[in-house]
Amino acid sequence: MAIARRAQLVSVVFLATAICASAEVRKEFRFTVGPRSVISVTNQYGPISVKPGAGNQVIVIAVFHSDQVEIDHTQSGSRVDILTHLLSETDADAGRVDYEVSVPADASVTLRSSTGLLRAEGLHGDVTLEGSQANVEVRDISNAHVHVRTLNGSVALNNIRNGHVEVTSVGGDVVLNSVNGPLVQVNSTSGKIQYEGEFGSSGEYMLTSHSGDIEACAPTDASFDVTARSVRGKVENDFLLEPKHTPFVVKAGSAFAGTMNKAASSVRLFSFSGKIHLKKR
Amino acid sequence: MNCREFQEILPEAFGGGRTAEQEEHLKSCPMCSGLLADLDLVAREARQLRELAEPSPRVWNSIEIELRREGVIHEPLRGPTLVPPISRPWNLGTWLAPVAALALVAFGIGVYQRGSSAPQSPPQLTATAPAPVSSLQAGKNPPNTDDQQLLAAVASRSPAMRAQYASNLQSVNAYIRDAEESAQADPNDEEAQQIVMDAYEQRAAVYEMALDRSLP
Repeated sequence: MAIARRAQLVSVVFLATAICASAEVRKEFRFTVGPRSVISVTNQYGPISVKPGAGNQVIVIAVFHSDQVEIDHTQSGSRVDILTHLLSETDADAGRVDYEVSVPADASVTLRSSTGLLRAEGLHGDVTLEGSQANVEVRDISNAHVHVRTLNGSVALNNIRNGHVEVTSVGGDVVLNSVNGPLVQVNSTSGKIQYEGEFGSSGEYMLTSHSGDIEACAPTDASFDVTARSVRGKVENDFLLEPKHTPFVVKAGSAFAGTMNKAASSVRLFSFSGKIHLKKR
Repeated sequence: MNCREFQEILPEAFGGGRTAEQEEHLKSCPMCSGLLADLDLVAREARQLRELAEPSPRVWNSIEIELRREGVIHEPLRGPTLVPPISRPWNLGTWLAPVAALALVAFGIGVYQRGSSAPQSPPQLTATAPAPVSSLQAGKNPPNTDDQQLLAAVASRSPAMRAQYASNLQSVNAYIRDAEESAQADPNDEEAQQIVMDAYEQRAAVYEMALDRSLP
């Protein structure tokens, strides 16, 4: 009887300890920064979300999923670095930290994580997001550089105005919706690239893939000069383009080139084995 | 001039400004001309990598921590040294590596200085020049030594990720091969030259992410 009671007690203590160990812990960090601050968050595993906040405050809310991680944070003037630090060799679940960050809207932000969702919105400072398996979402950014790099994570950019946009993804699909600016460049090995927008008023748009398909969709009043080539894939064009000179021989079905309206922007679509389709919206 | 004499002046000969006698030896000696071509290839590889940004100190720090943890590097010990004695007779194998390393460094500095003073032009790949991808044999053969080392590093840290990185490397190597073939087919095609750079950028991305501890 005494042994059974003792066993019960041990079980309860063990359970309570396990529950405490696995409970989520929330921590908050606050930093006061000046204008055009530079914020960097590097996570090992887990999502990072950044939104504009009020005033000159950077607020970092971190949710820990185990006691196997800690956060290093440093501030030098208006530069703030947040780094997740694994205390031991641990897996993605135990090493996960979820970040929610609010920054002044003019802050330049760099986010890095191997997994989870990297998300930035509503800023007008430069944004850099990098992740191997992490998916990336960026929306409502204006007058800024947007640099994204993933290995296999997908990339979705929405409503980027007057941006200098560079996206590199080896295997992740890339979707651009209402993205314009002086430079919009996407480079992928096997991911699919989709663009939907009006190609701005005077920019360079370069969508390049090795084996992924490229699909660009624009309204009929869009103004652009387009060159599309697929070495081994098919190309399709729904627009009535004015012919133009090209430095290469245009083979029907594998390349096309021409201008639409006043040819304000330059559009280059290139793939080796992917299919290219320029569609009317 | 014989092979030994030529190989003694190889670093100078590699930099250009060869004498008529040296040129004549090169024409008649496949071994020395092959050696020079190999050095040229190494230099070209270095040039192709010029787009790589210097990784952050955190990357180097992580690599050092990992190497120390695995016992690959440690504090200097008394006793036998891995550095060969200076009096050791030099042969082709022993001096080729430092010469190649010096050539890489020299080209790296040269490229950096050119890059900071003048606009860079895309690499001019011609049908006669050995293309970097030809040494990679991308996508057709097993991964090259660099790729194997990279995959081993990934596997030691995160075994589940090895297959994914191997697949990505195979894809980007195939990209590089296609891009270089396309550029070689039409050296005047500027877009094709740009695509070569794009393909190498993809490879650089795989390497950087694999070596960065925060992105396993």
